[in-house]
Amino acid sequence: MNEDLHALSGAYALHALPEPEVTLFEDHMARCEACAVEVRGLSETAARLAMGAAETPPASLRARVMTQIAEVRQEPPLLSDRTEPPPGEAVRLEPRSAWRRRVAAGLAVAVSAAAVVLGVVAVDARRESDELRQVVAVIAAPDARTVSHPVSSGGTGTMVMSPSEGRMVFTARGLPPLPASRVYELWLMGPDGVRPAGLLERTADGDTVPVVATPLRGDDRLGLTVEPAGGSDRPTTTPIMVADLPSA
Amino acid sequence: MPATGEEPGLEDLLAQVALGHEQAFNRVYDLLAGPVFGLARRVVRDRAQAEEVAQEVLVEVWRTASRYDRTRGSALSWVITMAHRRSVDRVRSAQASADREEKVSRMSGEVAYDQVSEVVATRLEGERVRRCLGGLTDLQRQAVTLAYYGGYSYPEVAGLLRVPLGTIKTRMRDGLVRLRDCMGVER
Repeated sequence: MNEDLHALSGAYALHALPEPEVTLFEDHMARCEACAVEVRGLSETAARLAMGAAETPPASLRARVMTQIAEVRQEPPLLSDRTEPPPGEAVRLEPRSAWRRRVAAGLAVAVSAAAVVLGVVAVDARRESDELRQVVAVIAAPDARTVSHPVSSGGTGTMVMSPSEGRMVFTARGLPPLPASRVYELWLMGPDGVRPAGLLERTADGDTVPVVATPLRGDDRLGLTVEPAGGSDRPTTTPIMVADLPSA
Repeated sequence: MPATGEEPGLEDLLAQVALGHEQAFNRVYDLLAGPVFGLARRVVRDRAQAEEVAQEVLVEVWRTASRYDRTRGSALSWVITMAHRRSVDRVRSAQASADREEKVSRMSGEVAYDQVSEVVATRLEGERVRRCLGGLTDLQRQAVTLAYYGGYSYPEVAGLLRVPLGTIKTRMRDGLVRLRDCMGVER
């Protein structure tokens, strides 16, 4: 694991890591001083390569830059105690900013309907972080598509589907409470039949905890039924929602 | 133009820039506008976009000069890292990615290497950079230059060269390590 991550130092210094691995590697580097030191040396080396690519810019560039700086306020220095910075800091180039932007962009796209999902994520801090990460990955994916559908017994279901993640997230708002002997169950439906896709856990305010499901090729609809507590292998009641999956 | 960027004074110039000295900034511009613009040109290719990137980076140098900390690395590395990161961000933006993927799938490794070797052979001015790149294995050199000058991610480089991902990661690392040792970069 560490050896694998360590091998990414060169690609990191060359800015050749795709975003998810940048995050992984920066997390690793924060705990690995030897890696941080190595990356610093490799980044200095990469910068030397630019000297070979130097090209005279047009004279108009200097004029534009000088005009612009006359109007740009300079940042004040960071007031630090001048202690030795942690080695990892030396190479944290705008850490994760691209990831944050991607999340923000994805959220902006999905926000209208997926606000439901996020609200539930926010109130449910107990969730395993892996699962939360999956939820966020789907919602934040650039190709995330969101569809809402009414539930016949009351409330609304919201699906966020990301083909690139290969997963979807489902949550619902305003579902009527069920007796302890019953549970809401989700189904993925395709030409080959119907598969259980998870039980919904209803929170106190009527939302459900987001469920991550992985549709198989051919699955084209999502169903919701009320089943005996513990769930069923096959739907045993009339669906209260059947919705087409958002297409890519 | 020094090949190593270790010209004494760039760090001191930045300290003056942080105090708002436009003359010092003019000197920084003299020293770094060429590498910043040339690198952006190499990565984003489009001349107008490269000028935009260079302008953004140089204004950013002015704006954030007070944040440069010489205990964390050279001033050259600070500025060039900013320029490279911005250039790469630009070519990897969602808009560009589809075109690039198509381009990657179209290009054979040979074509890509020819483009880059032209860069290496005729455009590199730094004597030491050229000599040190010449000391790498072919695969190390291709991996490093496609990533750095081409702005390709390592999976893209692996696709271009038709080499397994793990091999490319390793060649980028040991290639840079060899360059570092050859260039005498301080660790």
